[in-house]
Amino acid sequence: MRLLRDALIWFAAIAAASALAFWLGGYATDVYRKMLIWVALALSYNFLFGIAGQVAFSHFAFAGVGAYAIVIFAHQLGLPFGLAFILALALSAALAFVVALPSTRLEGFYLALATLAFSQLVLVVISEGGDLTGGTGGIANYRLPHVFDVTISGPWYTVVLVLLVASTLWMLRRLDRSAFGRACRAIRDNAVAAAAMGIDVRRIKVLAFTLTSTLAGLAGIAYAYIDNVINPPVFGLENIFLLLFMIIVGGAGSHIGAIIGAVFLYLAPFVLEPIVGHGFMVVFGVLVVLTILFQPSGLAGLVNRWPARRAT
Amino acid sequence: MSDLLELVVSATASGSIYALVALAYLLILRPTSIINFAVGEWAATGAFVGVAAQTTLAWPALDGPYWLAVIAVLVCLGALGWLVEALTVRPLIARGANITSPILALLGVLVIFRESLTMLFGADPLPSPPPFGFKRVAFGLFAGVPQQFLIITVTFVLFAAVWLFFERTVWGRAFEAVALNRRAAALMGINLRRVTTFAFVSGAMVAGLAGLLMSPLTSAHYMMGLPLAIQGFTALVIGGVGRVEGALLGGLVLAFVEQLGARYLPIPSGLTLGFPFVLLILFLFLRPSGLMPPREAR
Repeated sequence: MRLLRDALIWFAAIAAASALAFWLGGYATDVYRKMLIWVALALSYNFLFGIAGQVAFSHFAFAGVGAYAIVIFAHQLGLPFGLAFILALALSAALAFVVALPSTRLEGFYLALATLAFSQLVLVVISEGGDLTGGTGGIANYRLPHVFDVTISGPWYTVVLVLLVASTLWMLRRLDRSAFGRACRAIRDNAVAAAAMGIDVRRIKVLAFTLTSTLAGLAGIAYAYIDNVINPPVFGLENIFLLLFMIIVGGAGSHIGAIIGAVFLYLAPFVLEPIVGHGFMVVFGVLVVLTILFQPSGLAGLVNRWPARRAT
Repeated sequence: MSDLLELVVSATASGSIYALVALAYLLILRPTSIINFAVGEWAATGAFVGVAAQTTLAWPALDGPYWLAVIAVLVCLGALGWLVEALTVRPLIARGANITSPILALLGVLVIFRESLTMLFGADPLPSPPPFGFKRVAFGLFAGVPQQFLIITVTFVLFAAVWLFFERTVWGRAFEAVALNRRAAALMGINLRRVTTFAFVSGAMVAGLAGLLMSPLTSAHYMMGLPLAIQGFTALVIGGVGRVEGALLGGLVLAFVEQLGARYLPIPSGLTLGFPFVLLILFLFLRPSGLMPPREAR
């Protein structure tokens, strides 16, 4: 019964989010699609930062690796799309693993600095990659190819993005409720105590980093076909700050919080910009400081005020 | 040869700026364990306050001399450092929050500072008048613009003063004691709250001074903060977070690697932008204690 109800809720949510794609049009579609990418990235970043407690600044770099890899493999090198997709995902995962091995040994905020240096290096490489990466101008003028004679375009591509968000959420929720998720939370709260309870801290940390960064790569692959343009600035530091702020304001460690935070901070500038111009970033900064000071569980914490069904 | 000697002057000057930013980090990091990424923005703020004090930008009646700009920077940044500490860090420490909470809150502060600077002074770079002009001067074999020599002199004097402060004064010893063991220091009667306040005020002042000193060479620009924050931190990691001299050494090493590499290595200039990041990664992974490991407690 419970299973049936859950399945119905998922189905209704996916159907509603997909229906929106057909109802919106033009500029609104573009906004909606990018919002879905932000939500997908926020969900995986929330697992890394909020649940596993790793303050890493490399999430957008891995999205960039995924996006550039798919475009280079499928369009610059002309590989079949299926193969290019698998290679792009594998490259994100392999790179994430290589970065995770030494980085997860670093304590606290030093992880942030190492991953920040890594993501800046990725930017330097893609900006200096010559014809292969298109340099600072990036790559444009490519199209999502046919897969099994099917062309996905228009609102149907938005549906693909909805499915990406839904499957990311579904997977991360499953993981969160498994022994792996509990181990992640235990390490976040007290790594020494977690190790004493027999948790292999290094292994869990490396796994959490690799897995969430690979999901970022997947979101990057999806991003590459929204405007059919990729360029370096998108994957820079500005956006990783914004992603971090989304998680903090939404409520670190909560999936629903990640979604609320991403939607809220992504859409807020559209409302704020006419009023305060570019000053909306000041508003975000103030919001982050106030959240940390007065509402550490974020917006999700406000929602969850009424009887908690599940202890976190 | 003269090419190399000129490079030595310019690398020492940039290295001095990195060292000052590293010192700003260190002053806050040692007693509180808080990595304050906003020091880069504080340096940018120092640059803008200096420009505002010396030109007819803010108050047409006020077109002040250089010493006034120095005082304005120290007073404004000291006050801002105090304000930030009192409003964000102090309540979190009082609540016993996890150490990442103030670090993340300071990232919010970083964005607030940067965007406020953009709104107040605009997005275009503002030229900052150099106190001793742009005429090249030479000291023996070494030649450069006066501002470079000013930067080097001020930095070395300041580092000597800070070193003496930590080694020779009761306050400096108290700082060190807190850095080594917060709890024990508190039990010995050291006021932790006052040390934290002092750390943020002095850190903000040093950062502001770094911004003021470098602005005649680069202009005051709202995007100058984040690169400085990264370079300053890299300098700190290279030198070692435990010692004041480490910050100076790290800044100089970073600047020399950057400039010698850009000048003499046969690789595209764009790739040399990656040097600081490679250095940061190498030191974090291979030698996290830096070139100058911290001394044991005596």
